[in-house]
Amino acid sequence: MNLFSDIVVRSPWLYRINAGSCNGCDVELATTACIPRYDVERLGCRYCGSPRHADIVLITGPLTLRVRDKVLRVWQEIPEPKVTVAVGICPISGGVFRGGHSIEGPIDRYIPVDVNVPGCPPRPQSIMEGVLLAKKIWLDRLNGIAPGHKEERHVSLP
Amino acid sequence: MFRFLKLLGKNLAQGPSTDPFPAKEAHTPERFRGRVVVNPEQCVGCRICHHMCAGGAIRIEDNEEKTGYNFTVWHNTCALCGMCRHYCPTKAITLSTDWHNAHTQEDKYDWAAHYSIPYLACAGCGAHIRMLPPQLAARLYAHSPVDMTDLLKLCPSCRQLAAARREEISNDTHEQE
Amino acid sequence: MSDIFSLISQSATGLFHLVVFPGGLFALLFGLVLKGIDRKVEARLQRRVGPPLLQPFYDLVKLASKETIIPETANKTLFMYAPLLGFTGMAVCLALLPVPGVYYGMENMGDMLVFFYLLPLPAIALMVAGSSSSSPFGALGFSREMTLMFAYEVPLLLVILAVAMQVGGEGSAEFSLRKIIEYQREHGSFGFTLSMLPAFVAYLLYLPGTMGVPPFDVAEAETEILEGPLLEYSGGLLAFFQLTSAMKLVIALGFGVVMFFPGTVAGGPLVNIVWFAAKCLLLMLVALTLCKAATARMRIEQALSFYLKYPATLALVSVVLAWVSL
Ligand code: SF4
Ligand code: SF4
Ligand code: SF4
Repeated sequence: MNLFSDIVVRSPWLYRINAGSCNGCDVELATTACIPRYDVERLGCRYCGSPRHADIVLITGPLTLRVRDKVLRVWQEIPEPKVTVAVGICPISGGVFRGGHSIEGPIDRYIPVDVNVPGCPPRPQSIMEGVLLAKKIWLDRLNGIAPGHKEERHVSLP
Repeated sequence: MFRFLKLLGKNLAQGPSTDPFPAKEAHTPERFRGRVVVNPEQCVGCRICHHMCAGGAIRIEDNEEKTGYNFTVWHNTCALCGMCRHYCPTKAITLSTDWHNAHTQEDKYDWAAHYSIPYLACAGCGAHIRMLPPQLAARLYAHSPVDMTDLLKLCPSCRQLAAARREEISNDTHEQE
Repeated sequence: MSDIFSLISQSATGLFHLVVFPGGLFALLFGLVLKGIDRKVEARLQRRVGPPLLQPFYDLVKLASKETIIPETANKTLFMYAPLLGFTGMAVCLALLPVPGVYYGMENMGDMLVFFYLLPLPAIALMVAGSSSSSPFGALGFSREMTLMFAYEVPLLLVILAVAMQVGGEGSAEFSLRKIIEYQREHGSFGFTLSMLPAFVAYLLYLPGTMGVPPFDVAEAETEILEGPLLEYSGGLLAFFQLTSAMKLVIALGFGVVMFFPGTVAGGPLVNIVWFAAKCLLLMLVALTLCKAATARMRIEQALSFYLKYPATLALVSVVLAWVSL
């Protein structure tokens, strides 16, 4: 069983959700995949286009009112077990947009976040550290160490 | 048209240019703006940084007994803009080059730097004041004709009194002449 | 009595070819390793390190461990069976794939036209998948896959025709793979025959289209239409698509090797298997990996006109040359 989950976590497929970010963090995410210097693929990662294929979700942006419902819907489409990573200070706390009239964040009001990677934007290496941490959490979850959030899957809308 | 083949061949020959990052420490530029650190020795509690902070990451509050103030920087909302460093009059707040910031959700609200900076009692009236840090005082009053060592231990109002008294004495001596 | 024995032994060998070699186990392992090498070499060409060699295996295990979601609005039966359609198609096709020097396909069945009919099955499975998933992106992927298929099947048919006519001679055509291999053993590989060279180039150009790799990954463009037909698939069902794609890779490459470079080397069957694998690998590196590493995605109408212009013309030249040289 342990060997099985060890192999499973070697293939974390990443999926990005832009919850109204300024694009700074998205550029850094793209950097990890597209620039040979960082090459996230060597960790077995792959950015996939469909939420159905994802294992690790990277959310950027402060969750604006307009995208809130769509973000939650897309997040729910992702098959279990999934690990959620908040990239940038926006989803973690609202960042520089905190208190804005159209900001619904921080994102953990709606979505159980597992890993936070602060920075505005975080540097690519920092994001990779976040992915590695998410991998560890995923492994723990597979081995039954930390409870998954299957029960919490229904997302509460105000 | 076949230039790309040459390029691919060159790429193959040169080998990967990937940083060995997760295995080894990554290169960090010297002027990289990482996590904020404060030197509590130097901070005078002027709150300029709090005023400038774009992300609202800095909180400065008197502690309950009013014997000092608590200085908190919550990294999870710090935009790493460096404005605090730029405007801090005493250069107490700076940005380190530490970027190892990924943490789990449990640590979210602990991902902060806490400093508690004590007030000292005024030598005159006993009110709580933040003394001017000695290094700073030395720099500020380097050319002052007055000896500041005792004056600096006073709160602003006591210092006013002291100054007035000093005036008086010097006036007296003036008259005697 | 002996009839029954021969029937049993025949079906036993048939089963062996379907499950162990060259189909089933061998093809799956070989296909996945090929994919691993492909990703690694592509990364190296782009000055990256690339994923580990066994990454496709990890991916499969991972997918098996994930939840499989079936959309409520999808046509459930079609949605579930679409991946199987491609998979079984490829499994049958693999049992017929000759490995020169080792295995020459089943009797009376190893025919190029069978390959021509079976090879598009994964694409058709994708179309079924896309249209049954009730997602607009799936429908978009469906239409793109369909268009692309029409584009690349034309050169494939012409290539097959050219080879068949060259072998048949006298204005007739010979579609049996066994005969084709024998003919080339006597007259030299088609890959080194001047009149067949255009057809070979056309086949090289056909490969990226059928495997859906850049610049012809229009149907599964993850940045435009979110992987199109695969959008709604997750977990085990997606793993089936990956397996299918690995098997199709072996078939498409193996078919090319059989048509153009079926030469064997002295030595036992094991040596010849390795030789065959090496030729497949080389073909993949030239036709797929280089292409993938160096190009960006075309638009669908560009891909269509590309296929109908260049590979089709090249293959046609070969057909004419084969016809004239009789
Ligand atoms: S954290 Fe900063 S860079 Fe990232 S999305 Fe928010 S504002 Fe933009
Ligand atoms: S770097 Fe910018 S956001 Fe961070 S504490 Fe200083 S002023 Fe605030
Ligand atoms: S850190 Fe600098 S700007 Fe902030 S309160 Fe202290 S002295 Fe003033």
